[in-house]
Amino acid sequence: MPSSDSEDFESADEGSPETDKKVRKKRTSSSHYSDSNSQETNTGDKVTAKDNSQKVNVEPNVEAKTDGWDDFDIDCPVENEKLTKVKETKKLTKEADKPQSTGWDDFDDWGNDDATATTAVTTEKTQTDKSAADIKELTDRLASATSKNSGWGWGWGVDSLLSTASAGITTLTSQVSQGISTVLETGIGAPDPEELARINAKTTENTEQKSSSEHKSIEPSVVQEKEQTSPNEGSFPFGSLFSGVTKFVETTGTKVIAGGLDTLETIGKKTMEVLQDGDPGLAKKRAMLGLDPGEKPVLSQILREAKAKADEEDKIREEKREAKEVHYENLFDDFEGLVHLEALEMLSKQVNMRIEERLRAAEPEKKQDIKETMQQVVELCEIPEDEEDDDEAPEHQSKPDALHDRLQTATQDLGLKLQFQPIVKQYTDVLAWLSSNSNLNEKAVYKRAVSSLAQATALAVEIYHKTAEMLLVKTRRSTADEADAMTQMTVVLTKHVGELATLFTANMNSIETDNKDQVNTYITNIFLESGNSSTYIQNAFQLTLPILQIGAV
Amino acid sequence: MAYAYLFKYIIIGDTGVGKSCLLLQFTDKRFQPVHDLTIGVEFGARMITIDGKQIKLQIWDTAGQEAFRSITRSYYRGAAGALLVYDITRRDTFNHLTTWLEDARQHSNSNMVIMLIGNKSDLESRREVKKEEGEAFAREHGLVFMETSAKTAANVEEAFINTAKEIYEKIQEGVFDINNEANGIKIGPQHSAAGGASGAGGAGAGGAAGGGCC
Repeated sequence: MPSSDSEDFESADEGSPETDKKVRKKRTSSSHYSDSNSQETNTGDKVTAKDNSQKVNVEPNVEAKTDGWDDFDIDCPVENEKLTKVKETKKLTKEADKPQSTGWDDFDDWGNDDATATTAVTTEKTQTDKSAADIKELTDRLASATSKNSGWGWGWGVDSLLSTASAGITTLTSQVSQGISTVLETGIGAPDPEELARINAKTTENTEQKSSSEHKSIEPSVVQEKEQTSPNEGSFPFGSLFSGVTKFVETTGTKVIAGGLDTLETIGKKTMEVLQDGDPGLAKKRAMLGLDPGEKPVLSQILREAKAKADEEDKIREEKREAKEVHYENLFDDFEGLVHLEALEMLSKQVNMRIEERLRAAEPEKKQDIKETMQQVVELCEIPEDEEDDDEAPEHQSKPDALHDRLQTATQDLGLKLQFQPIVKQYTDVLAWLSSNSNLNEKAVYKRAVSSLAQATALAVEIYHKTAEMLLVKTRRSTADEADAMTQMTVVLTKHVGELATLFTANMNSIETDNKDQVNTYITNIFLESGNSSTYIQNAFQLTLPILQIGAV
Repeated sequence: MAYAYLFKYIIIGDTGVGKSCLLLQFTDKRFQPVHDLTIGVEFGARMITIDGKQIKLQIWDTAGQEAFRSITRSYYRGAAGALLVYDITRRDTFNHLTTWLEDARQHSNSNMVIMLIGNKSDLESRREVKKEEGEAFAREHGLVFMETSAKTAANVEEAFINTAKEIYEKIQEGVFDINNEANGIKIGPQHSAAGGASGAGGAGAGGAAGGGCC
């Protein structure tokens, strides 16, 4: 900021009445804060003015612009005022950053200017001969007014802090409103900010070329006139300021509302334009939404479509049903395998808790014993590695009977009366089905295979569950025998499901079919499910372990 | 057949009051005068319809014998409903109700719906427990009460279905968290995976409901 600034203003001030000046001088001493405010805002005013005029640092220009603004005020359209708002917020930001260096005398000028800017929106200032409708001037004035506002409202004592804060806010506001104004401009056809800036620069250049004396001659008169417009200024120096502020608030309020309505209108118009783009009268969109009453579909057509749809759904449902029929897990659940496993799991958990309780309650040396015993049970229950002592059933005995015998033999040391009839009967049924039904297709065999495996497994799990329950109510326990029996039983049951799978796959292989790939897929699946069965049986056996263990501890 | 919900029920009460017969009447619609003693727990299942929704009732029929008491207790957990059964012709079975109720309340979740059932209502001539007594006990303990006959099937359907209705209402009220299987409620399989080999696994997998009975 050149040092000549204050001088220039001083000279401008010359023309104002002496009394006025005195009052102001007095004020300097009495209330410092207001001065600092005014200084600050004034600085802002100047800075912004300069900024707008594209770095023209000759002070008279500011004064010149003052005139220009007044002029402009007459024919300024609302749209442009909105633009100025954008700018004014920018100014504020800058103002906040500016150090308070300029003389307070500057106050005279802006004070008066403001009075005119807000109160005298009349033809009063038409004497000025600035030709171009300098939009920038308007923005500058508004900027000064706003900055004054902020000076009043916020500046009490804590200027710097608050100004920093407001700087942040205004930056934000300027960005937002910039966006809005851009939208408005494109929609309404107002010149864009860059162009405005360019015009502005041009005008300021022009004014620069004019003699500074001319400005000086104008200035006093302008100032004088302004003084006249605010007669109460003499008695109460803040009067003009107050009225200026209120007026400004009023006008700004109206502008904001008007701007908001304009925005809404513009958005509405734009929306309709977009909607009707390439679709006059929205005919196509109406048709698409089915709002047009003209094109009622034929009833028979609807019925035909509905029937086709229903057929399709039936087909899907049938496929799903079939898929479910051969779904191992579902079948296993249907045969109550899952619920027995669940019940066994509950028992197992509870017994485990009881064992832990006993462990906690036991003496330290006893604890080790218990742990060792439990480990011994686990070892006893290890399934022997493929001992191929395939004791083939005697010639005279049927396969189901052989299964029954093997199960009985395995579990005789348990000392329980277990029911093996269900699993033996199921085996009998499977064998009967396979032998009685020749000419079976691969699909039927596959279905029966999966179902039989699921059922046999469910029955096996039930045996474990029942055994566990009976062991728990048994009065005399012999853990080693029980563990051995359970292990043997597991071997027998695992072999049984393997045998079932083999039976079905052998039958499947004997089927004469063109679809060998399908048969192979089925065979693979049957073996997979038999592996699944073994896993369930092993799981059930593991769940029985704590029941065996608790008998020993 | 797919179901929307699966409710787990338990049937408890003294031995010989007709628990297994009630289950058989409900699932198979038949009566078997001579019945083996139940060991541990037996299962039954049936589909019912409430509010247009298919509900599978999975019933755990427990052994009433004192010897199995410690085992059957471990099955209480995760039941949504319980049928507490006594025999109207045997006063002692009525007298034991308090013990059964305490057991049930202690080992199950607090939201479990309990239905008190006075069975063998067909044996009016041998009645030892008045209907009013049953009603009073139920009122006192906040239970639903009903007298049934597994032999004539009187009130059997109602007993099972009314319990289910109460559970269903509790679900609607949000009392039961249906996603917590400890409440004895499972949501039915939406669309079970298509056939083929399924992974081996534990008891967690949901499955389609069986037919009318086991």
